[in-house]
Amino acid sequence: MQVEYPKAKWTDKFLLLDMFEGLKTTLRELFKPKVTIRYPEERLEPANRFRGMFKFSYDRCIACKLCAVACPIDIIYIDVHDEQREVDGKMKKLKVLDRYDIDVKRCMFCALCEEACPTKPKSIWLTTKTYELATYDRNDLYFNMQQLEYWDDRPRFAGLPEAESEGRIEGGRKQIEGGTQ
Amino acid sequence: MTPALMKYLVWPLVKFLVAFVIVQVIVAAMNWVERRLLGLMQARLGPNRVGYKGLLQIIADPIKFILKEDIVPSSAEKVAYFLGPILPLIPAFLVFCLIPYGPPPTFVVTHVNVGLLLILALTSTGVYGIILGGWASNNKYSLMGGLRSAAQMVSYEVPFGLSIVGVLMLCGSFDLVHIVNYQAHNIWNLFPQIIAAFIFFVSMNAENNRTPFDLPEAESELVAGYHTEYSAMKFAFFMLAEYSAMLVNCCLMVSLFLGGWTLSISGYGLTTATLQAMGIWGGILGAVIFIAKVLFFMLVYVWFRATFPRFRFDQLMELGWKWMIPLALANIAVTGLVILAAPQGGGEIALSAAGVIIIAFTLYLLFRPKPKVVAHAG
Repeated sequence: MQVEYPKAKWTDKFLLLDMFEGLKTTLRELFKPKVTIRYPEERLEPANRFRGMFKFSYDRCIACKLCAVACPIDIIYIDVHDEQREVDGKMKKLKVLDRYDIDVKRCMFCALCEEACPTKPKSIWLTTKTYELATYDRNDLYFNMQQLEYWDDRPRFAGLPEAESEGRIEGGRKQIEGGTQ
Repeated sequence: MTPALMKYLVWPLVKFLVAFVIVQVIVAAMNWVERRLLGLMQARLGPNRVGYKGLLQIIADPIKFILKEDIVPSSAEKVAYFLGPILPLIPAFLVFCLIPYGPPPTFVVTHVNVGLLLILALTSTGVYGIILGGWASNNKYSLMGGLRSAAQMVSYEVPFGLSIVGVLMLCGSFDLVHIVNYQAHNIWNLFPQIIAAFIFFVSMNAENNRTPFDLPEAESELVAGYHTEYSAMKFAFFMLAEYSAMLVNCCLMVSLFLGGWTLSISGYGLTTATLQAMGIWGGILGAVIFIAKVLFFMLVYVWFRATFPRFRFDQLMELGWKWMIPLALANIAVTGLVILAAPQGGGEIALSAAGVIIIAFTLYLLFRPKPKVVAHAG
């Protein structure tokens, strides 16, 4: 396709029309609404497929370890033992989870574990729409089974213990917990 | 206290102090206004965290400057390094006692009948500090920034001065009060001297090292130019001098081309006499009109900065020497010829008509319905 622009006349050049055109553009831009999100006060809702913090369901998990196998960097740690249990009047051999830890600080959020999970619905998933994962201590990013399952909307706001005791962190935590979804 | 002492020492001092405080407030506020406006024009928000809409930034910035560490490079030339930020500050502040802010006598600090010449002489000394600071820092970027600044300011001093000549020929005086009164009783010099006004404004941008002529501090080439090695209050002094010089040039622009504190055409409207008849409140009204016009031009500075990309150095020199100076000289010649050819104010009317036609035609071209871009398969 060929685009033909109107030719600049000598009057346009003499009167520096391009420059005034530029000034017009910036002036128009001044009054346009801005799309900036003022982060702590305003929050953007992530897309439905956004990969955020893990959520784990102990009840659904069948301890097959497929997620640990799928993990490209091996940050899922699973310990299992067998148990004889009575299910529907019969004795059955069941796998029982002892440990299900994820080292989130090394995770790259590829969601291959979620894809590998054979249960329906998935017993490990990342589409929780959370993104406030920062902590003051990197050890706080090592999550065990209970921590993976029992956080509410967002991961806990891990503050410095002394700052927390002085109540300096409180405001921030309230904002995060009460923030819009 | 003798009346002479009151007239020549105490009152000018008091007036100067009041003007100085107002100028400093405007300069400090400009920092916030500029960042905020630039942000809004660049599709972001700008500083909005401190206070309401970020307004406390005006106070936060000076506090930051005062608290920062004052670093002197070990290989710097100490005396020159200290003089660098102070030298441009002195003329920038001194000039404010030569500018008439409102109707005389109350709002004129010192009534000098060659005030315009004095102002030009003082403002052009500001470049010494920049060169000295750039050289004393013992840093090649600083030195290059200083040298560029020298070349640029000397080059644009010429069209800056030449563009005023047309105004002087029309008004016949170097006295800013007289020039303002002349405009109040005829027409704003913007219209008969539209080309001079344009050259004046562009040269004024170049004089103050503002974008698109900010080569002395081109951050993509020279780190920060002449103030690379300066920190804390010394850097703040450079900034203060730059913004004060901007304000001075805006005051000059308003006095020379936009009728200063008056709002009238050929004697109708708020002339100096009407304002003087209204007493002190008329004076304050005049000063407010003056400040409003000055602030408009300060905003135009920011607007320019948001719009235009930086020139290359040879382009800058070419624009100055090959376009601005010949254009200014042609403007002087045409103005002189028209004044001689049509005496008794006829020349003034002819020039004004030409100016109005140029402005109207530019506005028409700018806001005409655009011809559609033609696209066809090929």
